[in-house]
Amino acid sequence: MSAPAGQRTAAPAAVRTSPLVVLVHTITFRQARRFAGSFLPLAALIGIRGGSATAVLVIGAVAVFSLVTAVLSWWRFSYADGAASVVVTRGLLSRSVRTVPNDRVRGVEIETPALHRVFGLVRVRIDAAAGAMKDDEEELVVDGVTRAEGDRLRVSVLTHRSGADTAGDDGVPGAPVEEEFTRFDNRWLLYAPLVGSYLALPLAVAGALYRAVDDLPDSVLPALPGPDLAHPGVLALLAGIAVVLLLLGSVVGAALVNWGFRLVRRGGSLISVRGLITRRHTELEIDRIRGATVSAGLGMRLVRAARVNALMTGLGDAGRRGQLLPLGPSSEAWRLARRLVEDPGPLVAHPPAARRRRLGRALFPGLAVTAGGIVVALAVGWWELLAVGVVLLAAGVPLGLGRYAALGHATGPRSFAVRSGFLLEEQAILQRRAVVGWRVRQTFFQRRAGLATVVACVGAGSGGYAAVDLGAADVAAFAAAASEPWSETLSPRVP
Amino acid sequence: MSTAPPTSALPPARTPAWPLSRAAIGLWITQGVLVALAPVVGAVVVAFAVPDSVGGPVPVLRWLLPALAVVFAGVLIGVRPWVRFRVHHWEVTDEAVYTLTGWLTRTWTLVPISRIQTVDVTRGAMQQLFGLSTVAVLTASSQGTVHIPHLSADIAQRVADDLAHRAERVRDQAT
Repeated sequence: MSAPAGQRTAAPAAVRTSPLVVLVHTITFRQARRFAGSFLPLAALIGIRGGSATAVLVIGAVAVFSLVTAVLSWWRFSYADGAASVVVTRGLLSRSVRTVPNDRVRGVEIETPALHRVFGLVRVRIDAAAGAMKDDEEELVVDGVTRAEGDRLRVSVLTHRSGADTAGDDGVPGAPVEEEFTRFDNRWLLYAPLVGSYLALPLAVAGALYRAVDDLPDSVLPALPGPDLAHPGVLALLAGIAVVLLLLGSVVGAALVNWGFRLVRRGGSLISVRGLITRRHTELEIDRIRGATVSAGLGMRLVRAARVNALMTGLGDAGRRGQLLPLGPSSEAWRLARRLVEDPGPLVAHPPAARRRRLGRALFPGLAVTAGGIVVALAVGWWELLAVGVVLLAAGVPLGLGRYAALGHATGPRSFAVRSGFLLEEQAILQRRAVVGWRVRQTFFQRRAGLATVVACVGAGSGGYAAVDLGAADVAAFAAAASEPWSETLSPRVP
Repeated sequence: MSTAPPTSALPPARTPAWPLSRAAIGLWITQGVLVALAPVVGAVVVAFAVPDSVGGPVPVLRWLLPALAVVFAGVLIGVRPWVRFRVHHWEVTDEAVYTLTGWLTRTWTLVPISRIQTVDVTRGAMQQLFGLSTVAVLTASSQGTVHIPHLSADIAQRVADDLAHRAERVRDQAT
């Protein structure tokens, strides 16, 4: 594409962010925060010596300090988006200039924290592919531009990539052809208590609260009469309250993150928007989608719920950014996954030897503990270890059978699928072109059982998706059907 | 497995055509000697330094530990290098790089030349003594890396140059 009319000059003017961001940063102590460590002891000393007037003075001084640092960093920060690259200049004393070629930009995310929204500002994160960079340097963050400028910046960066020429009408603000893929139904929030990460959220909050209260000096805390913990009724009541709070907390946490989730297709991109307090706007290029995973824990499967993630090449922080359906009924999840990747058809079960192997592996810890328990019981007369062993043994049977039932693979004309996992079942559906290599592993025991594990190496998601305990004779055929012709190297040569 | 059909005894994938350099056996034996040294010395020290009079399981352990250490050393020095050499094979075809590595657990890795991102040649300190090099072929996937260990240095360099050259020509998106 050679210089269409209206294209910016090679060296575009550097622009500052909106001055309003100074207010936001003053309030949040964004720049002043890093000096907080050295100021706190000083402030505490002054606070103890002086009376309330001094305290007001200290607070005033801190506010002024925060304002000054915010102004300085706003003044020294500028960005410029040109036809070929984005340049961000910053730094108070030592200047740093980072230039990221537009071709290297993997995605642009716009987020709107609550306070930014009050002032009509957004934060733009430009995800720049750079393997050798440290995590916090992988992104260019332009914090505090108006919403319109943020959108302009996003469109400008994304459309000036050389690869984006073919996308045509996408990104032109006047003519967005939107197609809605999913809209979050608030009833789906009820699935949240079944998802580990949401359940962990209130626990983390409770832990932080406990630590904060623990840090306070005892004199500040009112001397509450402690409940009579010896009484079983009280204990049960407290446990009940804790469980209810935990469940509520997970639902609230899920609501905060996922409120108003919407996934739409606009031109060549998938755009997801979500969040109650901080709105996030993530753009994913459809061209880079290589597949999708549909995953569901044991609890979620009971109520037929699932989550969907996109597998994209070169996506940083893929676990969060790639989420296409954070929570939802599995019918919705599958509808969405099939829209992105062609359905390869029903899964084929793995051979009976795989069931024996799964069972053996699930029963092994139980067997070992039981054997140890018998020895201990005969020698010392302790029966506890034996009881634990028997329980483990009994639990191993459904675990092994469940893990076998989860195994499956399928190949279609343009895609393939593998599924595994019992406590967290994950099915990956991948395009044929996604495979950048095959890795076949066979342990000594798998060789005896005539099985092998085949990993499709993929430059997206976790890097590899395994068909566990496939029949050894089916390996070459599976690989040949699931990737391009080069994989026939695995098959025995026809003489 | 008496009930299993005879086909299941076959390996899951074809064996690549070319063996490694025979010098690899020497390298593996040297590594085995170094690894086995500590347990053997330890067991011998136990056998001579601890008197029988300590009682308990000591009289048995005095002979069991050295015996185990000797078996361990025998496997590491006398068995593993040869089994490994028999298992390890590699091949570069028109379309792909293909290796088979391991001894008890075997791993076949196949990467098409069109998806190669980087080709590395490394020479470890001990490899240099035996004139060997390892070729690593990297792709966009963290799990899709092929290591061809212990090729003689000149072959390794030729393979790496050839692969890098061909990857440049046929590379599609490489992802």
